[in-house]
Amino acid sequence: MGLKAVVSSPSPAFSTDESGAVEVTNVGHVYETASGTTEALTDISFRVETGRFISIVGPSGCGKSSLLMMIAGLVQPTRGTITAGGRPLVQPDPTRIGVVFQDASLYPWLTARSNVEFPLSLRHVDHKIRRERAEEALDLVGLAGFADKHPHELSGGMKQRVALARGLVQDPPILLMDEPFAALDEQTRLTMGDEVLRIWERTRKTIIFVTHGLSEAIHLSDEVLVLTSRPGKLVDRVSVDLPRPRSFEVMGGRRFEELRERIWQRIRS
Amino acid sequence: MNTATVRNTGARSIPAPVARAALVAALIAVWQVAPTVGLLDPRLLPPPSVVGPMIVQLFGEAGFRGHLATTLLETLVAFLVSVPVGFIMAILIGENKYASDIFKPLVFFVFSIPKSIFLPLFIFAFGISFHQKVAFGVFSTLFIVMMLSFAAIESVRRDHLVVARSYGATRMQTVLRVYLPGMTPVLLEAIRVSMIFNFTGILLAEMYASREGLGNVIEQWGQGFQLDRLMATIVVIAAIAIVFNETIRALESRCEHWRE
Amino acid sequence: MSTASHALPSPRLVRTAIVLGVLLIWEILPRAGIVPSLFLPPMTTTLQMLVVEAPIYARHMLVTLQEVGIAMIFACGGGVLCGLAIGGAASARQIMLPMFSGLFAVPLVVLYPLFTAWFGIGSESKIIFASVYGFLPTLLGTAAGVQTVDRQFLIVARSLGATRMQKLWHVYLPATLPTVLAAFRLGGALAIVGVVVAEMLTSTAGIGFLISKYRTLLDSPRVYAAVVLVLVLAIAFDGLVQVLERRLGIAQQQSGRSVGKRSVASAVA
Ligand SMILES: Nc1ncnc2c1ncn2[C@@H]1O[C@H](COP(=O)(O)OP(=O)(O)OP(=O)(O)O)[C@@H](O)[C@H]1O
Ligand SMILES: [Mg+2]
Repeated sequence: MGLKAVVSSPSPAFSTDESGAVEVTNVGHVYETASGTTEALTDISFRVETGRFISIVGPSGCGKSSLLMMIAGLVQPTRGTITAGGRPLVQPDPTRIGVVFQDASLYPWLTARSNVEFPLSLRHVDHKIRRERAEEALDLVGLAGFADKHPHELSGGMKQRVALARGLVQDPPILLMDEPFAALDEQTRLTMGDEVLRIWERTRKTIIFVTHGLSEAIHLSDEVLVLTSRPGKLVDRVSVDLPRPRSFEVMGGRRFEELRERIWQRIRS
Repeated sequence: MNTATVRNTGARSIPAPVARAALVAALIAVWQVAPTVGLLDPRLLPPPSVVGPMIVQLFGEAGFRGHLATTLLETLVAFLVSVPVGFIMAILIGENKYASDIFKPLVFFVFSIPKSIFLPLFIFAFGISFHQKVAFGVFSTLFIVMMLSFAAIESVRRDHLVVARSYGATRMQTVLRVYLPGMTPVLLEAIRVSMIFNFTGILLAEMYASREGLGNVIEQWGQGFQLDRLMATIVVIAAIAIVFNETIRALESRCEHWRE
Repeated sequence: MSTASHALPSPRLVRTAIVLGVLLIWEILPRAGIVPSLFLPPMTTTLQMLVVEAPIYARHMLVTLQEVGIAMIFACGGGVLCGLAIGGAASARQIMLPMFSGLFAVPLVVLYPLFTAWFGIGSESKIIFASVYGFLPTLLGTAAGVQTVDRQFLIVARSLGATRMQKLWHVYLPATLPTVLAAFRLGGALAIVGVVVAEMLTSTAGIGFLISKYRTLLDSPRVYAAVVLVLVLAIAFDGLVQVLERRLGIAQQQSGRSVGKRSVASAVA
């Protein structure tokens, strides 16, 4: 509870639109395995307003993925509650939340288009609509010409774009991304970051983005949540008050360095 | 597996398929020449020029066609029983951690002991019959099917399942659209290898005790020194086995990239 | 999902119970007259035969062991040598391996009538058949193993200025030993099966001969006793190689998880 003092006060609500809001209240999670129990997360509370871009950083094993899985409804928290779009999640709801995973996790037996259509086909959406929407999503991620390729014919970055299109195809107000670009090379990672920003600015979705890269987190987000490990706790919320679009100068500037320094200190503590 | 790397062993190297064809041709040539020039007794090793026409002749005989049909039918029935049964048993065991811990070592053990020596027991149980052949074929195949099915189930990537769940797939959808295609490459391999065991089991059962089937005729022709007929039948059996094997292998290589 | 695993007996215990249960059923079913004892003679009756008929079984076992021993030399020795030669030379590998693995699909039992016609129904035909039977899988296993000798190893060895002999002794040998032993284990098992099957089909001596002789006499206790003997032989051989592997400090790669293609063939027929 002492945490509350450390955590800076939640930012004022930007809108009253609940559709893309995520609220995490006193959430904790304990994994039970044959070899014992692991307390992955403890007493996490935060709220994300509709349309905000939030990053989560923290040391390896602090429970970032677990937290994201719980928000996605893939894992049930052992304690606390989570609401997305104002309603609790008892199971995954792809119309509310799209997820993009670290390794693109595309189905190798489907074409890029069919991979993007996959969520729609699960709900028996009409063929024509399915196709249109997949085309739109692929277009949005800049892969219009690659619809009929199979994953093994695509580069790592392109695969992630397909995964992104798959996350966007049902137009969910919330998008969760778990280290989506960790497996990519530095250059591709930078372009993919810009790509996500461009899409975010066009669609104004709520994005919760897990990453190991502090610069990446600052570059992309409105706010950075800092977790520490064993068990994972929320130790800081850092508002990124840098102007957008964030140019090279801004990224190399003093304020940027200060923010980075602060986050780094919090992670180490 | 990786036919792409076949070339490039040197500037003057010939492509592997050509070399292979040449090797096979050379072997056939030796087989033809050795008995004809008197190096080997042509009654003991009938050359291709005798065996080839004999194959044609055999297919003209209703009796031989009947034996062939019997063997193929037994093989097919045993296969159609053992593959689904083995697969379903493997799923039932593989899906549950506790059941896996108990049964996998047992299945592995039974898999690794020789099956042929149990042949007499099948005769005690079923008499010398179609049922006995099929039962023995199933017995010889079931455990390899289970072993390979375990591998197939394990080959499905966990993240593929998580994606399906995060997009709200039902249990049925997950099975049909993720598990099944995900397992296909390994499953094809399972079908291919199981067929080797199955075909061997049926032929052995026929050779051991039966009144009909290819196994029965080769045993008879061997004892009667009709080596031209024996060789011709061996070639037919080998051809069936190789064609089936290579067909499945071709399918496997088509979905090779699914394994990533 | 969460099974109350602490409430369940250990898998090992259950397994032991299952094995004991099977043995008990083997004893009880025929004794109670539920299954005719022609089909299933009681366990004790079967084992009794091994004692009563010990001299006969011993005599025939000796024949079998001799044949197996010689066949193993041909199958394993030849298989390992050819496997090393083919696996070690890139061009031979590319030309021959697909042929051999295609040949692997052919049910080799059908060659036995040919061998009896050529070599008679004495020991020779058994030895040759079993050698051929065990040869191919041993070759394939060895070749596959040699192929995987890590190139990195060799480069490091060369950079350290190792001589040809040193490379052979310190790099090739240790690196291929596990595969060679695995291939030996497989080839040996197949040689045993090959000899016994050949004896069962046409012969005048050996354990397989006894199985078939007692089968035609409908003397099922003696058939079962001989089958038990062959099982003991196969299991003992496998155990011996495992002890050898452990002595040489080779980790068990085959058990459980990955059923390599090599071990897959270990129970042909
Ligand atoms: N399915 C599971 N069963 C048991 N323990 C788990 C499971 N998943 C995660 N854990 C444990 O929970 C803790 C948090 O894991 P999590 O994957 O959420 O961390 P993370 O912050 O995403 O790590 P990384 O940065 O390496 O991706 C770790 O200690 C991990 O070992
Ligand atoms: Mg993670």
